[in-house]
Amino acid sequence: MRVILLTGKGGVGKTSLALATALGAAAHGHRAFVLSTDPAHSLGDALGFPIGPQPRTVCPGVTAQEVGALEELERSWSAIQGWLRGLLHEKTDELVAEELLVFPGLEELMALRAVREVEARGEYDVCVVDCAPTGATLRMLRFPDVLRIFMENFFEIERRGARWLRPVIGRLGGSKLVPQEEFFEAFEHLYREIEDVRQILLDGDRTTARLVLNPARVVVEETRRSFAYLSLYGVSTDAVIVNRELPPRAAGGWFARWAEKERQEQAEIVASFPVPILHAPLHPKELIGVESLRRLGEEVYGSLDPAAVLAAGRPVRLRKDARGTVLEIELPNASKEDVDVGVHGAELHVRVRDAQRRISLPDSLVGRTVASARLEGGVLAVIFEA
Amino acid sequence: MRLVLYTGKGGVGKTTTAAATAACAAARGRRTLIVSADAAHSLGDVLERRLGPRPEPIAPSLDALEADARAEMARHWGRVRDYLLELFRHQGIEAVVAEELALLPGAEELATLLAVEEQGREGGYDLVVVDCAPTDATLRLLTLPDVARSALRIALKLQQAVSSVVNPLARVLIAAPLPDAAVFKDVERLLYGRLRRLHALIASPQTTVRLVVTPERMVIDEARRAFTDLCLFDIACDAVVMNRLLPDEARQEPFFRDWARVEHERRQEVESLFAPLPVLTAPLRDDEVLGLDALRAHGQALFQRVEPDAVLGVRPRVRFTAEKGGWRVELPLPHAERAGLDVSKLHGELIVRSGARRRALSLPRRLASLSLSGARFERDLLVVRLVPAGASASRLEAGPCA
Repeated sequence: MRVILLTGKGGVGKTSLALATALGAAAHGHRAFVLSTDPAHSLGDALGFPIGPQPRTVCPGVTAQEVGALEELERSWSAIQGWLRGLLHEKTDELVAEELLVFPGLEELMALRAVREVEARGEYDVCVVDCAPTGATLRMLRFPDVLRIFMENFFEIERRGARWLRPVIGRLGGSKLVPQEEFFEAFEHLYREIEDVRQILLDGDRTTARLVLNPARVVVEETRRSFAYLSLYGVSTDAVIVNRELPPRAAGGWFARWAEKERQEQAEIVASFPVPILHAPLHPKELIGVESLRRLGEEVYGSLDPAAVLAAGRPVRLRKDARGTVLEIELPNASKEDVDVGVHGAELHVRVRDAQRRISLPDSLVGRTVASARLEGGVLAVIFEA
Repeated sequence: MRLVLYTGKGGVGKTTTAAATAACAAARGRRTLIVSADAAHSLGDVLERRLGPRPEPIAPSLDALEADARAEMARHWGRVRDYLLELFRHQGIEAVVAEELALLPGAEELATLLAVEEQGREGGYDLVVVDCAPTDATLRLLTLPDVARSALRIALKLQQAVSSVVNPLARVLIAAPLPDAAVFKDVERLLYGRLRRLHALIASPQTTVRLVVTPERMVIDEARRAFTDLCLFDIACDAVVMNRLLPDEARQEPFFRDWARVEHERRQEVESLFAPLPVLTAPLRDDEVLGLDALRAHGQALFQRVEPDAVLGVRPRVRFTAEKGGWRVELPLPHAERAGLDVSKLHGELIVRSGARRRALSLPRRLASLSLSGARFERDLLVVRLVPAGASASRLEAGPCA
């Protein structure tokens, strides 16, 4: 199953474009699923009828669902809940699922599980994920790593300890304190599910991100940072969608100055994102409902199949080796004489002939000295001192 | 100190409105601090300055800062962070990624609150304006002190149950570093010690939220839900800002005729949805509002008739009244869905669930031991009756509101 993550700054039109992408994929004969993982769901607002935590048919070929963390928790995790209930409330039957939700990260966890469930159903060719705004999405994407570290470090230890201690503690009358084996099994099961999702998300043949933005300065700035972070976490971006461009017939009169600003930002967008750039115009009416969104999909993708991988590979990568931290940038067709590299504040500026790309550096690289830079086989490697 | 938080759906102009409010207040002589709480900071982009986690002077009487979870964590939570970093390095994970990972979910919201609370105490500001992340994260931010308290309660019990017995054994079995008592002490001190102060800050009558909207359907729908949630948690809202109204010249453009027509209806809708709160309006500009001068002008337009730091409007809050045979709790929940409401009582708290949200409302001490006798929801008001505990049960579940 193909997974397409739509993310970007708030208010740029992620939800509308997620639905437009799914409707477009369905028109190409794919069975499409739209999953909203943004806790402030708006699929229903965009469609004009409610979508809830249960999958619901939008039209033939398209199904939609808004992940409800609370419902997901209540459905799964009964063993973990059972143990916590014993631990915390002893005699009451209070819903522990609700209390569990206070733990940061659980919403992200439930969103990830939902992606896997769509795949496990085996009924869909493409899952379009309407993500939360960029910050929250990045947090969701790095969650599996955090969980993996936790599992590798603590989990087996606690489990072995619990196995060993259970009889001892039991005799002392404190058996409720030590989790039962089912608790660990439930946790391990959950962990395996999240590992599956991690594999799906990091597989560039299956999963790509599409960044939605508007041609406005502040939006472009934030999207450039997101692009760098997505690459850093290992997710490939296969397209950028520029939404709400003033169409030529609206660009005169009072809006002439606005249109001029947009032209400047369009140039900035081309310089910032080395992936296909798709376009959607501003409309004279709000786009609400299946028909409007279907037409939006046609405008954005034209004859392209929205479910296809529109660009391969990860154009910016980060790895560590003996020399320090290496930032690798794909620069096909560039020769050594053409390339010029420099760090300016929190950005790496790469000039190739007349084109300049500005890559936002992750915070941990800001302020570090560049030891060297080299171009080999179409890849520019910039080495930062440790 | 007056604290104003701006929230709303993404892209409605929260950052611009917050920065304009701060710039306008500073120009009118208030000592003002503006804080960006959105992890994807764009305050620096709007002010055209590079900002950091310490207050940066921007103009006379105006400072700005971007809350930095990384820096706050290092300052307040040093040992926890050191431990996590050590742990991740031990696992052979690239140090770069490890630092990113050390920022666990929730850290950003906590960092913001800690920064605001500390600056409020020590910075001598008249007004602190916070540019919040989109609606959902804002609610997480405002309910964090309460939520962290329950999380900590569970976490500490878990820790006590598992780690204290298992750790000594585990230490012998494996080489990976395990957190020691000092790490948990830091967590406990940070949370318990400062949570009470953070809670007081949010509950203060000097703290209000302002919702920012544009005349778009999806934006208004989300603001309406956010308003219900804010009321559920008894967080005061004092105004709505309606942004990007087409100026007269723009309304003449044929392409925008439909937008202009719809806009008029939406404005009336917003006024009635959020009544009695005032609706401040700002026009769409033919250029992005960037830089201090543009922000100041935008703020002057927004606050023509009122002061940016005034409490602009008041809505009824939760009320406890004695009545025959018991007490009556009234919680205004505008636009709440009756079907999604549920009320129960647990220990000294009234648990109110509205859709996916759940609030544990702490009852005044004299009401804590009472039993729930009934709840109803009419005309946007949730009314709960509490009576002295009978012989039957100390705790009673009331199903969905009748």
